[in-house]
Amino acid sequence: MRYLLRRTLHAVFLLLGVSLLTFLFSSLTPGNYFDEMRLNPQISPDTVAALRAQYQLDRPLPIRYLHWLNAVAHGELGFSFAYNTPVAPLLWVRARNTLLLTGTATILAWLVALPLGVWSAAQLGRAPDRVLSWATATLLVVPDLVLALGLLILAVRTGWFPTGGLVSVGFDELSPLHKLRDLVSHMTLPVVALVLGTLPMLVRHVRASVTEVLGAPFLRAARSHGISDRKLLYHYALRAAANPLISLFGFSVGTLLSGSLLVEVIMSWPGLGPLLLEAILARDLYVVIGGVLLSMLFLVAGNLFADVLLYWADPRIRIAASAK
Amino acid sequence: MKQPRRLAKWFVILLLLHGIVAAAGFFAPYDPVEQDREHPYLPPMHAHLIDAQGHIHARPFFYPLRPREGSFDQYEENTTTAVPLKFFESGAAYRLLGVLPSRLHLFGAEGGRIYLLGSDAFGRDQLSRILYGGQVSLLAGLLGAGVTLLLGALIGMAAGYFSGWRDEFLMRIAELFLALPWLYLLFALRAFLPLTVSPFDSFLLVVVVIGMVGWARPARLVRGVVLSVKERDFVRAARGFGASDLYLLRRHILPETAGVILTQAAILIPQFVLAEMTLSFLGLGVPEPLSSWGNLLASLQQYNVLVSYWWMYLPALAIVPFFLGYLRLASALQQRTVAYKIGEKDLWNPS
Amino acid sequence: MQPLLKVENLGKQYPARKSARAIDNFAALDGVSFSIAPQTTLALVGESGSGKSTLALCIACLETPTSGKIFFEGIDVTALDQNRQRLLRPQIQLVFQDPASSLNPRWTALDIVTEPFLVQRRFTKSDRAVRALQLLDRVALPRKLAARRAGELSGGQKQRLAIARALALEPKLIILDEALSALDCSVQAQIANLLVELQSSLGLTYLFITHDFAMAPHLADHVAVMHRGHIVESGPARNILSSPTHDATRSLLAATPRLFESPRESVNF
Repeated sequence: MRYLLRRTLHAVFLLLGVSLLTFLFSSLTPGNYFDEMRLNPQISPDTVAALRAQYQLDRPLPIRYLHWLNAVAHGELGFSFAYNTPVAPLLWVRARNTLLLTGTATILAWLVALPLGVWSAAQLGRAPDRVLSWATATLLVVPDLVLALGLLILAVRTGWFPTGGLVSVGFDELSPLHKLRDLVSHMTLPVVALVLGTLPMLVRHVRASVTEVLGAPFLRAARSHGISDRKLLYHYALRAAANPLISLFGFSVGTLLSGSLLVEVIMSWPGLGPLLLEAILARDLYVVIGGVLLSMLFLVAGNLFADVLLYWADPRIRIAASAK
Repeated sequence: MKQPRRLAKWFVILLLLHGIVAAAGFFAPYDPVEQDREHPYLPPMHAHLIDAQGHIHARPFFYPLRPREGSFDQYEENTTTAVPLKFFESGAAYRLLGVLPSRLHLFGAEGGRIYLLGSDAFGRDQLSRILYGGQVSLLAGLLGAGVTLLLGALIGMAAGYFSGWRDEFLMRIAELFLALPWLYLLFALRAFLPLTVSPFDSFLLVVVVIGMVGWARPARLVRGVVLSVKERDFVRAARGFGASDLYLLRRHILPETAGVILTQAAILIPQFVLAEMTLSFLGLGVPEPLSSWGNLLASLQQYNVLVSYWWMYLPALAIVPFFLGYLRLASALQQRTVAYKIGEKDLWNPS
Repeated sequence: MQPLLKVENLGKQYPARKSARAIDNFAALDGVSFSIAPQTTLALVGESGSGKSTLALCIACLETPTSGKIFFEGIDVTALDQNRQRLLRPQIQLVFQDPASSLNPRWTALDIVTEPFLVQRRFTKSDRAVRALQLLDRVALPRKLAARRAGELSGGQKQRLAIARALALEPKLIILDEALSALDCSVQAQIANLLVELQSSLGLTYLFITHDFAMAPHLADHVAVMHRGHIVESGPARNILSSPTHDATRSLLAATPRLFESPRESVNF
């Protein structure tokens, strides 16, 4: 228990540190949201000054940071200059869209990677393994950018999939079943891009972990007891190989919000990524900080989740932790 | 294949690939900024050996393209004139490696322009733009990796050698940097710096930004090596002769870190090239008229380009052989430095 | 005659964490005292964990003792500052147990032997090479090995190289920290004979640290037995080996692989 408490404290520290860093950073840089406005002759300097005062941009940095911390403690994340709405609801909507995408992609990727990796390890060196290794190597060599763009062109030229957006126009008039179908058809391309991007690495890791375990004496003993091969693989080997995979899973969970930025931008998926990009370009301070923090929260939570899972799954860690 | 030979093989392949890009002036038929407003968005031309009349030519040739009746972007071949492909032609002036002035090109044509990979909105030859663009992208990746490795090595050595609070402090900061999603950091860093600067300054900015993002992992790895080497007896012995810290770092510890640093280089360089491509693609990197693989792809953000002009996607494929080469090089290097365990996860996962 | 080395009540404590709150101090050395006369050999015998290596490092000024004093030729080494200590270091050299880790495997034999000259900035470049080769001759290493990398040499050759390196700065005291333990029996004999020969021809003083009494009769004039951080018995080698008084000494003697009738007899290895 103390171990988990320490990890949580550590996580909180990390978040605070990042928020401070982001705040510091964005304040040190030249330019802010209202610079453009200032250049616009139609808007009087008084208006600009009043707006700045409203958003408290004229106060010194430490005060702004404290104000913001205070707001966060109350569940608010500041105000967006560009959208003229509070940041939090803006973020939730976009984050939800992103999670829809990445959640599906992550689940799919793991569902495919686990059996593929295990099977590959079982067939080590033989034809199926070699083919799979070759396939993952090829996919690895193609970066996300290239993959996503390529898929997009495919979609456009074949017309099989819509090329952007969450749903089609006129979505609200559709029946629930059609709504689902519409959503799925919009999701397909980005999900495929994400899965193809993460699958090779996952398969490799699963394969590597299971291979390491397959040579262990305890497995041979189990086999001599007459346990079936399939049970051996999934029930025994996979469990023994679980530790690094659990960490990897935690990492997957951690990147749920941040890993899909490029794909979202390219496929015009209205998620957190494009919002952040816009905000960065427009110097919309609080949106940027809120978004970065949210992603960091997920990253940190993902690691914590992995730690908890490891603690629960591996008795060795429990013992080591309580001995401290 | 035996280890050293495998390493050498991929190193040579990479060297050749880089060489082609470095000598872009020679391999590219035209100047990348040369426009031809009469022929925007030309599709790639086909080489022919047999002409419309059924004669076989000894030399491959091309038909110039002219706009089809009633359309402004559909082209058809003008079979009245044949433009032969010539090798080692004299063409636009360039400086080989920025130093040697020359007019020699690998191939060219008389009487018309050959667009092997099509043209863009301003009629510029895509093949030439890809080759020259590679110079910018690869250089950004190499320089960025250089900055990161230098920073990471210095910090890692300081942390590992001096230990104590300095080590703690540096590693906490490294952890912070490692925890941040690198793409966000990249964008934020770049975007919060002045956006409209000259192409050269922009390039420098990109390099610096990329370099400052990735130092944490190399620093941790170097620190690990330093920690283990520091305790070896030969370091103790040298200290026994009265060696200074600087001497020990320079002559004993630094050489041991070479393996780790080289492997990290092979991993980071392609990642950084990709980072430059991503930045430029989104308009945060190298601006026009300078071409980089990233900003060559920027036009794909327009729907009509996506639908009608598929060859504008080709610059994206240019990076694939480089990725392959570096990936193989990295795994060959890793197998050599097995003593210092580098997790596979580090191979491609940038965050 | 003044002893070359005199160690007085030396103590070395390492902090070790027992739990999150309590820090226990682990005493590697606990009041060690002995002295060595010039041009003699003291064999310091003790089991693993008795603090021998810590003692070696302290005397060589590579670790600072937490208490006690070390006198070298009458000078209180422990009271000197870093720079003066550095000046003194060439006179006390260490030969380590594992030549694989005490010699940088990537360096050539010549580089390794010239390193002390480089660090101390003595002699010109060509002079260094000449002297290095002479050192190789001294330890009976064929000159053709000079260009080989240390990693390619055999165990015995490596240890000879380590000794050659230790001789480079013309030290007065050489501490051999289990220097023979990692070698094959036959090689041990050769190196031991080399050490004896060097002692008489160069007037060296040895502190020979070991866990094994087997070498003691051949090399040592005096013996001191260490147990749990302090000396439990010491005296002329002959006496200790024939009539040990302390339990620790007795168990160490009993563990010696070869039995012998009386000390100082040449033993067949």
